[in-house]
Amino acid sequence: MAATPIIEAKGLAKSYGAVQAVRGIDFAVRPGQCFALLGPNGAGKTTTMRMIMGLTKISAGSLTLFGKPVAQIGRAERARIGLVPQEDNLDPDLSVRQNLEVYGRYFKLPKSVIRERIPALVDFMQLTEKIDQGVMQLSGGMKRRLILARAMIAEPELIILDEPTTGLDPQARVLIWKQLLELKRAGRTLLLTTHYMDEAQRLSDWIVIIDQGRILAEGTPGELIAQHVKGHVFEVAKPLPGVLANGRFEHEDIGDSVLFYVEQPGELRRELPAETSYLHRPANLEDVFLRLTGRKLREN
Amino acid sequence: MASLAPWREASYTLAIWRRHFLVWQRTIYSTLALQVVNPILFLFAYGLGLGAVIQTLDGLDYLTFVLPGMMAYSALFTASFEASVGAYSRYAYQKTWDAMLATPVSLLEVLLGEALWAAFKAMLSVLGVLLVGAIWGGIASVGGAVLAVLALGLASLSFAAVGLACTAHAKSWEFFNYYFTFWVTPNFMFSGVFFPVDRLPDPIEWLSWLLPMTHLIQLVRPLTAGQPLALGPALLHVVFLAVIAVGAFLLAERRLRARMFD
Repeated sequence: MAATPIIEAKGLAKSYGAVQAVRGIDFAVRPGQCFALLGPNGAGKTTTMRMIMGLTKISAGSLTLFGKPVAQIGRAERARIGLVPQEDNLDPDLSVRQNLEVYGRYFKLPKSVIRERIPALVDFMQLTEKIDQGVMQLSGGMKRRLILARAMIAEPELIILDEPTTGLDPQARVLIWKQLLELKRAGRTLLLTTHYMDEAQRLSDWIVIIDQGRILAEGTPGELIAQHVKGHVFEVAKPLPGVLANGRFEHEDIGDSVLFYVEQPGELRRELPAETSYLHRPANLEDVFLRLTGRKLREN
Repeated sequence: MASLAPWREASYTLAIWRRHFLVWQRTIYSTLALQVVNPILFLFAYGLGLGAVIQTLDGLDYLTFVLPGMMAYSALFTASFEASVGAYSRYAYQKTWDAMLATPVSLLEVLLGEALWAAFKAMLSVLGVLLVGAIWGGIASVGGAVLAVLALGLASLSFAAVGLACTAHAKSWEFFNYYFTFWVTPNFMFSGVFFPVDRLPDPIEWLSWLLPMTHLIQLVRPLTAGQPLALGPALLHVVFLAVIAVGAFLLAERRLRARMFD
């Protein structure tokens, strides 16, 4: 691709003393793309995001934003980034409108520009009726939408979304997804981290899965599914019928049952004895993620 | 227009200050009660109470003596509180600083905005006390009072900077117990607010000269009371307050830079 990547990492690494949080990763976020960085807790995801945002110095390799090394990023580049943080850091004592006005001033936007953008932003995020209400009176979903509107105040080229829908109800999530896809259509670049695989699958053009500081896999959601879990999953309860015990099909033992991955559902279904209890569904990104990063709990 | 550059950059600091001002406007009555009425109550209690017992102190009637002390106290209390507990809640709980740092605003500007805001708020309460004290007849020199307000402004920046240095080191609310016990209270008690520091035992008087509040009161009292103030010592007091302001501010910035970025 000809266009300069919005973000480009080459051999990017970070260690804290003896602990290597990120061990040399390469990736490129292209303009207009929704790029998802996925990984279990402690995978190096947060460290990578912090390096991109300039909060953590890189230990080795290179990392560029808008073609410029992160260490040289200044005000001009930071004004081109909108951040949607994981935690709510809105001003609780201010109204929806005031939150946006205050934030616009941090970007040194003229008053007239701020005034002009606010109605369009609150309309886009469906907060028009709440515009003069205090933030404390907003629901969780409305606060999230306001944080997203706030990140858009300076019309950034790159929007960094750190778990944008964590803790929201399904309606609120669907609305946010819709608006994010709208932003992507308008040509913005999105960098997303999330623990929801359905979210990543729905929004992303390119997914990188990292664990233990290394990239495990990358590709489009479709490619990752086709490559790692084939397309169809049969979850078959134990004890397995004899025909399946011979290792002919790709499978994964998950305790009480075994997952079989096949390209065509017919391949496996015709082998199953009539009395077998099983569940068949299309494979999804969650299958890929769990298969690659394992099923053990990550608690840190 | 290179010559305009610093002012252009100043708009980032101003944006931070304006954010604090806007929030303050929403909660104006409760903060006015704390910042202005509180020191005025002190003034009445000490003016009427102690004033009835003590006729004159160092040749001044007690109201004239205690009014500059009360102005200094309101600067100390307001700036110290805002830059410590106030700033810490924005930093550690509301994550307001994180939100600011995700924009073109720098950490230095966040802290400058905090310091200027704390000093501004301190000056509002100083002016409230000054107004009541002046009506009551505690101001002997109007020109002196104007200079005193400038000195109080500088001192407010010093108190704010020390508060920010404390915030920069705080790991929990409990940390501020040390700050109030070992910094704010001694500044209040051993600096000449209620009685001249030369009445203290010598070693304690020497220690009191380490407190910015002592230097502030040495400046403010002769000014509002219309007494002569020697230029040399006055300059030393000003330099002392300025050194504390700059030193504590740089310490705060350095510590927070290490804490927030790695």
